[in-house]
Amino acid sequence: MLSYFIKRVLAFIPTLIAASMLIFLFIHLIPGDPAAVLLGDTATPEDIAALTRELGLDEPIWRQYIHWFGGVIQGDLGQSLFFKTPVLSVIADGAETSLLLALMTMTWIVIFGVPIGILSATHHGTWIDQLTSGFAIFFASIPTFWLGLYLILFFAVGLGWFPSSGFPSISDDGGWRNLRYLLLPSLTLAAPNAALIIRLVRSSMLDVAKEDHVRTAKAKGLSPAKIAIKHVFRNALIAVAAAFGFTFAALISEAVVTETVFSLPGVGRLVVQSILRRDYPVIQGVILIIVLLYLSINLIVDLAYGWLDPRVSLQ
Amino acid sequence: MIDAIKNRAISIRRVFAGRKVAALGAIWLCIVLVAAVFAPWVAPFDPLEIDPVARLTEPGAPYLFGTDHFGRDTFSRALHGARMAILIGVGSVLIALILGGLVGMLSAYFTKLGHVLMRAVDVLMAFPALLLALVLMTLLERSVANTIIVIGLVYAATTSRILFGMTLKLKNDVFIDAARCSGAGHFSLLFRHILPNLLSPLLVQATFIFAFAQLQAAALDFLGLGLPPEVPSWGNMLSEERIYITRAPWLLLFPGLLIIFSVFSVNLVGDAMRDSLDPRFKDDIAGV
Amino acid sequence: MALLEVENLEIAVAGQSEWLPVVEDCSFSVDNNQTLGIVGESGCGKSLTAMAIMGLLEQSQVNITNGKIWLDGENLLDMSAGDRRRIMGDTMSMIFQEPMTSLNPVYRIGDQIVEALRQHRKMTSAEYRTRALQLLEMVNIPDFQQRINSYPHQLSGGQRQRVMIAMALSCDPKLLIADEPTTALDVTVQNEVLELMLDLQRRTGTAIILISHDMGVIAQTCDEVAVMYRGRIIESSTTAGLFANVLHPYTRGLLNSIPAIDSETEWLDAIPGRVPMLEEKLSGCAFHPRCSYSQPKCADTLPAALSIGESHLVRCHFAGELEL
Repeated sequence: MLSYFIKRVLAFIPTLIAASMLIFLFIHLIPGDPAAVLLGDTATPEDIAALTRELGLDEPIWRQYIHWFGGVIQGDLGQSLFFKTPVLSVIADGAETSLLLALMTMTWIVIFGVPIGILSATHHGTWIDQLTSGFAIFFASIPTFWLGLYLILFFAVGLGWFPSSGFPSISDDGGWRNLRYLLLPSLTLAAPNAALIIRLVRSSMLDVAKEDHVRTAKAKGLSPAKIAIKHVFRNALIAVAAAFGFTFAALISEAVVTETVFSLPGVGRLVVQSILRRDYPVIQGVILIIVLLYLSINLIVDLAYGWLDPRVSLQ
Repeated sequence: MIDAIKNRAISIRRVFAGRKVAALGAIWLCIVLVAAVFAPWVAPFDPLEIDPVARLTEPGAPYLFGTDHFGRDTFSRALHGARMAILIGVGSVLIALILGGLVGMLSAYFTKLGHVLMRAVDVLMAFPALLLALVLMTLLERSVANTIIVIGLVYAATTSRILFGMTLKLKNDVFIDAARCSGAGHFSLLFRHILPNLLSPLLVQATFIFAFAQLQAAALDFLGLGLPPEVPSWGNMLSEERIYITRAPWLLLFPGLLIIFSVFSVNLVGDAMRDSLDPRFKDDIAGV
Repeated sequence: MALLEVENLEIAVAGQSEWLPVVEDCSFSVDNNQTLGIVGESGCGKSLTAMAIMGLLEQSQVNITNGKIWLDGENLLDMSAGDRRRIMGDTMSMIFQEPMTSLNPVYRIGDQIVEALRQHRKMTSAEYRTRALQLLEMVNIPDFQQRINSYPHQLSGGQRQRVMIAMALSCDPKLLIADEPTTALDVTVQNEVLELMLDLQRRTGTAIILISHDMGVIAQTCDEVAVMYRGRIIESSTTAGLFANVLHPYTRGLLNSIPAIDSETEWLDAIPGRVPMLEEKLSGCAFHPRCSYSQPKCADTLPAALSIGESHLVRCHFAGELEL
């Protein structure tokens, strides 16, 4: 188990470093001079040249990278050109919204995705299966922002049940009740991802159901429900966990869009706004953090995989 | 060899037998294709023609789907949007399959090259798809070609990993050994013996990439980082008119439904094709 | 009445357009302390018969179209699914052919062994554990005190099959069905597993149905034999009676394909031809296309089951007339 863990971590670090180089390179390939953007239209060429020197933008790119990455290791992602504050604190401001949104979304995905997936698999070939599978593909085919816009139109604008946009911190007035701001966004974000989980749970359960050990369980006289959960679903969980990283990537991508639709002050919207504002330090900082998060999730998934499948941990 | 291909090829009859909904999906896709080809002749109005008098007209004659806030005919724009949808879908699928397919197959076949190439793919895969597309789009100007290239590149990474796995499975197959023993060279082994066996799974993968590309392109359009705003694509129609949703809810309904129906149809067809695939490759395909 | 009596069992599988019969007019019985061997080539319907008795047939593709299965005087086919499950794993249990895949890879073997027990008998967890240890010891698993916590992949094939046997015996079944229990095992392990089953029978009096394609295994273990060919029992007798007086040409063919250790012949006699496909409609005796004694009558009329001597049944028009 320990060597498995170490091997995974060792594969993780070079990927992260290579990804950080790629991010840095991308940002510096962007046409347009950040110093000019920063100073605005009224700047003189002398001002721009001075700021370029000050920001170290005239140095060779590899030296700029080392300088930046050295800072990153010490927790310094640089200064935001737009906010004039440290990038890390800009990201931290969006973290609460994004984390709460992700948690709520995951809750919906588990609440809807897993039971419906099990239902679909245990009723394989019946109208229940056809209906749930059909709906799952349908929900995976809806553009997130379109769903979000119509949810706003019906439930926020039309019925007035929920606020249509924004999210005050739960430390503000209203406390935990402010979570209602996240209800529509989390449902929007959950829809395509729950659909993915339904399909995944269904197909992995159908695969496991064909295995011989399920027949053994039947021969023991266990009830169909017990067989479905204890023997089929439990084993299908291995494949579901393995694909979870993929789901998480989809979740991050769609969070960018969902936060924009609902004007949530999260990390996802920060990415889009920073790109539109050409706030390079923030872009590279945010993307690095997201990549780090995504790779960590994949690492955790790998470890969970070893925990779920006794055959892996002893290799 | 030809027989082997035929056996593993996807027959239309087998794919759609007993899958009426998937057959309906295929019919819908044909309609979209026809609309895309004949859009300039079928469209009742110029998709770019602005008519301030007819702003935000409700659906009805002569504006079948109503008009947008510039007074442009939504139906005509939707027809031209079908062109964009097919163009983006086919374009990004081609890039993804050709580039990703080559990288994946060569990596699996030439082990040393594979070590290098697949690590590079790992790095690209460390970025969630839309995020990678967003970053790449900031490097490039907003244009149809660039959008296609970026989406194609993003899915080339996924495709290469899938092809890598499938080629590895085939590489040690008995029939490849047989071909090698009868003196087939690297090129011939890869493209005349391995590739034909991967065509069916590749076709299935292509349908799913087509579906993903539609959603990605729409999301890029919505974020203001996809096609130039004046291009009549379904994504741009949604993006441009979203602030009028309360005044003219139908404006977003038609382009939205067009995206949904098309993506849904492609997914259904892909799903039906995956079910009739060689079971060895079924798990490799990444789809809905 | 014997413990298990199968009466005119008929099973059909779903074909392209119609139900195809795979087991027809199949009758036999087993009693306590007895071992019945069912022998035949793959596809003859022997496994389906076993699955039908056990209650493991998939309803959508396979159907029991006729017949009765009496266990302890009750017809299993009249029971509700729930009542049936109360018997499965308790009064009767089954050992499968594939020891490598018949155990769930994610649970420890100790838990899997007593799972049926948990289902059918209420005990404390300490008692379950004691019983699991006792069963593992009974089937001769070395280091059973440690092995109880192992996962299936940590055991060898032979050990896994022993675990399967321990599992099947956990509730002291009256009937044990073993479907090719040794086929997937090494020859040396095969004998140990068979011996183990017989030894357990001596102690507990369990009735055993042993399904095999191997006449050697049957001869070694069974009191009675039923030979199946294409869904029908074509010959049945006591094992001793059958080997003393083979009446069906197919049975002779099966016996000739066992290599004898002291034999000097270099060639084994294989039965010519192959088992016909399900879709092929055959009139008369199903074996006639492969039978070297075939007469025109064989292709026309289905031979009736003839009773020859004491408890020896055969389906052949020329039973007793042929030099086999």
